[in-house]
Amino acid sequence: MADTKMDVDEAAIDEGLYSRQLYVLGHEAMKRMAVSNVLIVGVQGLGVEIAKNVVLAGVKSVTIYDPEPVTIQDLGTQFFLRKEDIGKSRAEATLPRLAELNAYVPVKLLPGKPGQALSVDLVKGFQVVVLCGVPHSKQLEINDWTHANDIPFIAAETRGLFGSVFNDFGPKFTCVDTNGQQALNGMIVSVDKDQEGMVTLLDETRHGLEDGDFVTFTEVQGMEELNGCEPRKVTVKGPYTFTIGDTSDLSEYVRGGIFTQVKMPKIIEFKSLRESVSGPELFISDFAKFDRPGTLHAGFQALSLFRETHKRLPRPRNPEDASTLVSLAKKIDADADEKIITELSYQASGDVSPIVAVIGGFVAQEVLKACSAKFHPLVQHLYFDSLESLPSIIPTEEECQPTGSRYDGQIAVFGKTFQDKISNHRQFLVGSGAIGCEMLKNWSMIGLATGPNGIIHVTDLDTIEKSNLNRQFLFRPKDVGNFKAEVAAAAVAEMNPDLKGHILSKQEPVGQATENVYNDEFFAAIDGVTNALDNVTARLYMDQRCVLYAKPLLESGTLGTQGNAQVIIPHLTESYASSQDPPEKQTPSCTVKNFPNAIAHTIEWSRQEFDALFVRPAESVNQYLSEPNFLESTLKYSGQQTEQVEQIVSYLVTNKPLSFEECITWSRLQFEDKYNNSIQQLLYSLPADALTNTGQPFWSGPKRAPSPLTYNSSDPVHLSYIIAAANLHAFNYGLRGETDPAVFKKIAESVIVPEFTPRSGVKVQISDSDPAPGAAGNPEEQDLATITKKLPSPASLAGYRLTPVDFEKDDDSNHHIDFIAAASNLRAMNYSIPIADRHITKQIAGKIIPAIATTTSLITGLVCLELYKVIDGKNKLEDYKNGFVNLALPFFGFSEPIAAKKNKYGTTEWTLWDRFEFNNDPTLKEFIAWFKNTHKLDVSMVSQGVSMLWSSWAGKKKNEERLPMKFSKLVEHVSKKAIPPHTKQLVVEVMASDEDLEDVEVPFIVVRI
Amino acid sequence: MSVPPAAMRRLMREIVELKNSPPEGVRIITSEDNMLDVTGIIEGPEGTPYAGGYFRVGFKFTNEFPAAPPKCWMATKIFHPNVSTAGEICVNTLKKDWKSTYGIAHILVTVKCLLIYPNPESALDEEAGKLLLENYDDYCSRARLITSVHATPRKKPVEFETPSAAASASPSTSTVPSTTLTIPAATPTTSMRKSPTPASQPLQSSPSNTIKSMSSTLSEGKEHVVSPSPLGTSNANVGGAASSMGPAPAAATKAVKRSAPTAGSAGAEKRKKALKRL
Repeated sequence: MADTKMDVDEAAIDEGLYSRQLYVLGHEAMKRMAVSNVLIVGVQGLGVEIAKNVVLAGVKSVTIYDPEPVTIQDLGTQFFLRKEDIGKSRAEATLPRLAELNAYVPVKLLPGKPGQALSVDLVKGFQVVVLCGVPHSKQLEINDWTHANDIPFIAAETRGLFGSVFNDFGPKFTCVDTNGQQALNGMIVSVDKDQEGMVTLLDETRHGLEDGDFVTFTEVQGMEELNGCEPRKVTVKGPYTFTIGDTSDLSEYVRGGIFTQVKMPKIIEFKSLRESVSGPELFISDFAKFDRPGTLHAGFQALSLFRETHKRLPRPRNPEDASTLVSLAKKIDADADEKIITELSYQASGDVSPIVAVIGGFVAQEVLKACSAKFHPLVQHLYFDSLESLPSIIPTEEECQPTGSRYDGQIAVFGKTFQDKISNHRQFLVGSGAIGCEMLKNWSMIGLATGPNGIIHVTDLDTIEKSNLNRQFLFRPKDVGNFKAEVAAAAVAEMNPDLKGHILSKQEPVGQATENVYNDEFFAAIDGVTNALDNVTARLYMDQRCVLYAKPLLESGTLGTQGNAQVIIPHLTESYASSQDPPEKQTPSCTVKNFPNAIAHTIEWSRQEFDALFVRPAESVNQYLSEPNFLESTLKYSGQQTEQVEQIVSYLVTNKPLSFEECITWSRLQFEDKYNNSIQQLLYSLPADALTNTGQPFWSGPKRAPSPLTYNSSDPVHLSYIIAAANLHAFNYGLRGETDPAVFKKIAESVIVPEFTPRSGVKVQISDSDPAPGAAGNPEEQDLATITKKLPSPASLAGYRLTPVDFEKDDDSNHHIDFIAAASNLRAMNYSIPIADRHITKQIAGKIIPAIATTTSLITGLVCLELYKVIDGKNKLEDYKNGFVNLALPFFGFSEPIAAKKNKYGTTEWTLWDRFEFNNDPTLKEFIAWFKNTHKLDVSMVSQGVSMLWSSWAGKKKNEERLPMKFSKLVEHVSKKAIPPHTKQLVVEVMASDEDLEDVEVPFIVVRI
Repeated sequence: MSVPPAAMRRLMREIVELKNSPPEGVRIITSEDNMLDVTGIIEGPEGTPYAGGYFRVGFKFTNEFPAAPPKCWMATKIFHPNVSTAGEICVNTLKKDWKSTYGIAHILVTVKCLLIYPNPESALDEEAGKLLLENYDDYCSRARLITSVHATPRKKPVEFETPSAAASASPSTSTVPSTTLTIPAATPTTSMRKSPTPASQPLQSSPSNTIKSMSSTLSEGKEHVVSPSPLGTSNANVGGAASSMGPAPAAATKAVKRSAPTAGSAGAEKRKKALKRL
């Protein structure tokens, strides 16, 4: 990367476009990417997948080289080529579509002639060189030069269900961040003064460090030499302890302190390809196939030799070619597995979109690593296969012959019969965001649903936003504002016109409200569901529906560089709801309210503050104005009546601003109240020097003593609070805002702020003997009456409403994130917590999930490899694979899905896929009797949805009333809602006990009405 | 808000259990047309300034339940250091120490314990915390006043007509040592409502009794996977727990965990002295 320094382009990163990816890579890494010119040689399926992801991610430029003419077979994986392009140069035909993806990344063409050999001269001048499907001898030649010149080099190839990647980032490559995890930190309680200074953490919080990590310290009292010290190397002694080397010449430790991990760069020494061929560093992509990389290492070399000798690849399922390949491979590695090499030979002329997506996503991330030095690169060879995706009936040689169709690459692997099955498959894709777009791309390439019986339903309620364009690659800037599902469906029907008429887009989100759309008939007419969702609620809902209708479900998700794919097969695996990730630990409310010690606490507080100032009061006012008897009915049960009425009075009468200036005054007073007076009050109750009973300072450890802030217009945080708060307050009242800081300064400084004296405790005036029970006579209720009188009657303000603020994190001009960042930082300043910038605050407050196209592409590929199995109807657990990846490390993990748990009542075993079925709308009495008579089960409670239809403690009257009711009637009676006409069956649950009075779990019940 | 079927089933089971054999001093109100609409009622424990009051606890279940705790708040006004004026309750059980085996009963029993052993050091209502630390009697009077005004109905809620699990249990069953508790088998007759504690004696009234009866309640229902150390407030994560945790909760925790012999009135005396030092 010799000439990068001169090229440094300080152009700002478009945070709107790259928002989600910035949370994966960070600004520093993206700046380094912005000076890297990437060359991609070979733009068939794999090359274009890599190029697409790299262009989306944003580098300085991407240059493509592939002068060969487009063939019909290319269309099976190369999603940017069309029938009309056949015969044109691949690179030339691809370029315009690639260039559309990202206006910030110029895509260039490296000219050449068909048949022209690649040469070192061609690859000069780039910071990263990627070769796709280039013969081994050529790879060696180019790599010799890149290795000598310190240019990161990647060679990649896909053959049928096999893929290979080789990395050489040069003899000494510096990786600045090997895992992308946030630097660890934690509070400590002791540091021994010793040759091996032991550091102990506060109250059993795990430090999470590993041997060889580095740390530094802040806020240590006593052993102050540690504060800001040069990074010290850690030896882990236990989950709560580690040593930091010699501390014997330091001062005595007293108390406090925070350790912070310091990320140290790692130097990685890559071998050249020539060196690596004989002594390869093989990466394990699937621990169940630990000996396969060795075999494939020989196999791919043999394949290259075969190609050079025969000027073609082995023919599909041709035994002769396969035995030639086996003997070639055996010469390279006598231990190479014959069966695997044979399969490699059979499939070598094939190319399938899901494998291309897996390898392409992976390689693109490696390119970004080479540019940015962020995340640990692959060292050095990756071999991957998904032979399990082959159909259980292996196709014959004849069935795999090319037919001159765009699916030839897939037919070579799976055969025509299976291609037919693929084309007549019926899938429901739920979600058309990042995963959805990639899914549809793969589906269109493999020809899913293109046959006479095939159909794809795709739904997404969302419209396209700018921040989507960075990875939802079917969308272009002109599509912003349009429905995702509609645009995506049209885009992939354009990629593969066979899909026209076989893909239907919808906007109805899945959920109870749309069960008239996604009804029994709908589910009866699909073969399976693929989730491409971004939230747990919808995932759980679809899971539930798939269990009810016994449909296979493909589930996946990504988080930054991590992703997973899960297969759910009826009567075989557990369902999505069976195992869930533990949610994040929540912070106790008193930590947020009084004792914050981390920026996350102050951000949570300021997010609540946002609602408490700009959302809820305006809502209450509107409710008061619009709902009859709001004060009497709703509020009475809140337990907060007086406070709420006071708030309504304040917002509607006493503090209602008439001008924007008054909003500034209001926000200045808010500042005083929240960041000065409240803190003074807290310190009055709990003084900074308070001691606990053991003589320890009360404010110590995780409790950081606060100090009040004094307002100062020239402090940017103070001023930005005033600006944001005043504008949001004005928004509530429909007043026009202002952004000129001078105006705010002037007015804020002129506000007369009342002197504050802490309330001197709550002295109890009333003695024990006269508690005032009863209603009317008590003082608080009288207060309430007095306050209520101040309210104008709703009628007198007919039509008047406040405008509550609707939190929107992605609009940079609406002051929402500005307010939250300012409020959080002011509070952090109160508690001497390091403040956070707007970007970090936005992520935490907006709960933004980091995302990058590379991971999505890879995960979607894994899902589609499972889809082949679903289409084939595989019915053994070991046929399927759940996948987990982390591209940052990198890491691949696969596991067999977990079997559905077996439960038991009496002697009957059952799983979540079983159910009882009732036809003809039975009465409750018949229903309960059936359980008693048929299964010797006593039912103690019956429910449907959230309605409790009957319980054993219901009482005589209810029993008499409900037992004779038919189910449909009963449900309507209890839920007080009519059953919608499209509902033909009810899902019912019971609690039951067996003859020994033991509670037993029983399957759910379907009652047809 | 929808709850997945498995979670719904768990809730049903809990509701059945809580309806049929509720723990001492704790009841629930359910709504037939929405089982997710559960309100807890906690009887103010005798010997505390909350005695005579009935405190409603609101629940809101999310689709992450039971992996994540339900949102819980005090819907009845109360003067208590760990309950904010807006009704938020600060107990670790409801936040960082939540376990997916916990349920409604566990939460309600935990909050009931919190009424007996407030933890002023993780105050949400710092005025209440300050008062509790500085002037225990004033704190009690104030708490009693608020209880009488806001939490004391003319008639005991009908839910309390159902006998508690402990009260209805036969002595032989309630002495069965629970797997989660290591308290020496308590005399099962000690039930809080029956204990002859004079109302004028506030907190120091024999907490050991309270705990015994609670433990017998807990050991009763096999469905209650109730861990008996629910008192951790946010301070439990403070280093060297003893150094920063007030002696009151420490004693309480000990009492529950190890049945500390000092947890009687002597312990309470110590506690008062210690509090004054603060």
